Amino acid sequence: MARYRYHLKQTWRNLGQSWGTQIMTLFTVIMSVLIFSFFLLVYVNLINAGNRFSDELRLVVYLNHEIVPEMQPQIRKKIMEFSAVENIVFVSRSQAFARFKKQLGRDSDVLEDLGADIMPPSIEVYPLRDLDHLTQLKEFSDYLATLPGAQKVQYGQGWVERFGHFTELIRFTVILSGILLIMATSFMVSYTIRLTVVAKEAELEILRLLGASSTYVQTPLLIEGLLQGITGSTLGIGLLYILFTWAKERISGPGFLRLLDLTFLPPLTAVAVILVSIALCTGGSFIAIRKYMRI
Amino acid sequence: MTESTTENRAFVDVVKVTKVYSPDIVALQNISLSVDRGEILFLTGMSGAGKSTLLKLLCCMERPNKGLIEVAGRDTGKLKKNEIQELRQQIGIAYQDFKILPRHTVFQNVAMPMEVMYKPAREIRDRVSELLDSLQMSHKKDLPAGKLSRGEQQRVAIARAAVNRPALLLADEPTGNLDHEVTKMVMNLFLDLNNSGSTIIIATHDTSIYEGTSHRMVKLEHGLFN
Ligand SMILES: Nc1ncnc2c1ncn2[C@@H]1O[C@H](COP(=O)(O)OP(=O)(O)OP(=O)(O)O)[C@@H](O)[C@H]1O
Ligand SMILES: [Mg+2]
Repeated sequence: MARYRYHLKQTWRNLGQSWGTQIMTLFTVIMSVLIFSFFLLVYVNLINAGNRFSDELRLVVYLNHEIVPEMQPQIRKKIMEFSAVENIVFVSRSQAFARFKKQLGRDSDVLEDLGADIMPPSIEVYPLRDLDHLTQLKEFSDYLATLPGAQKVQYGQGWVERFGHFTELIRFTVILSGILLIMATSFMVSYTIRLTVVAKEAELEILRLLGASSTYVQTPLLIEGLLQGITGSTLGIGLLYILFTWAKERISGPGFLRLLDLTFLPPLTAVAVILVSIALCTGGSFIAIRKYMRI
Repeated sequence: MTESTTENRAFVDVVKVTKVYSPDIVALQNISLSVDRGEILFLTGMSGAGKSTLLKLLCCMERPNKGLIEVAGRDTGKLKKNEIQELRQQIGIAYQDFKILPRHTVFQNVAMPMEVMYKPAREIRDRVSELLDSLQMSHKKDLPAGKLSRGEQQRVAIARAAVNRPALLLADEPTGNLDHEVTKMVMNLFLDLNNSGSTIIIATHDTSIYEGTSHRMVKLEHGLFN
């Protein structure tokens, strides 16, 4: 018990002696965590939105003749040769006609004189909803156009693909800001520790001569890193939460924005970000101690 | 080596030690010295004779080039890093250049060796106050040590060396800046510690502090005992 009191007391002294640098470091940790978790939040929401657009996410191959049921497995196999898919649906003329009629609802009487012949048969291909597949829709559609009897391939008017690319960009940004988080926090924390070590060189030297153990000298500096990590990451995530609630109130009105049914980071993810930041800060101070202190 | 010596084994044993500072300053040459547990030893000699060097070797601040140094029954040459720190906790040293922290208060400076050993705050307060009283420094206890006179700083260094009632106390020129009165206080403090079991080695050229005492005195000359 007495030991912890000593270490905490010493940590408190250190913090007091270099509070300017300490605040700068804290600010860096907060900003890094904020930037990283912001992009992570955007990414998580894009993925969520992508799942909700599932209906848009299909390629329709219009055919000039119907595919008899016996032929279907063969076509299916051919499609799968390009890439795995979530589902393949064969739509006959009459199914297409029935669907169209349903869509028109009360206006369906305009179809009265017409037969199912006016509708082209088609194959609906639902690609896997992950980034690799979403960004390859163009290639996929070119491939589908080569199927026997294919006349035309239609898919999400390109925006689905753009959405895929955008999501990929965000994923890249998440990784980039993750690297930034790692570098900035561990650098700043070890920089602060180094300043402390340099400023206290005489004191550390005397402590050494008085028989101080390395635990006695090093623990306060480790606690310093730990505190930076706890405070910085909690404040960073907290700040993001405040910004998120504020933004959500502003944009989630009626209409198309319902699409953006924004959600915050899952609790486990938030906790993971905090824990990793704490580990980074403590690790940063540990490395700095190893490097700059001879005791 | 023999069994019979273990009982009354010397607390400090220096055997044929040579210390050369780079490039070629021979500070100690083939020195042997042994100090019994509970002894007070005066180490004298001209300036530059090697007194401080010998004390620094005892607390592992410097390493000998040749020879063996045993303190408290332990071969200092074989100690690991953490064992050296443990040994240092048993040794109190008043350095010739004090090595006190100018921006820390007198109290903080004196308390450091006890804090290093995680002593309870109350015990530290009592012990430090008692010591500062005995050296008439109580009224300065909250001043930064850097603001004190040389003589006062010297007393801070001595108090810090004594605060843990160390098994071995090394005092390097402890009375160099002190007047007759204060010198007497310091010597009384040393005698008290000695009575409670401390082994004490005092490096000095102040003849007045050992003349007329029964304690052993050894003299270094150019790194040799004569
Ligand atoms: N770090 C060092 N590097 C080089 N030479 C040193 C070092 N420390 C001491 N010396 C030399 O070693 C010799 C012995 O020095 P030491 O300090 O032990 O003498 P001393 O007996 O304590 O003298 P004084 O009475 O003046 O304190 C001197 O010639 C000194 O110049
Ligand atoms: Mg000297």
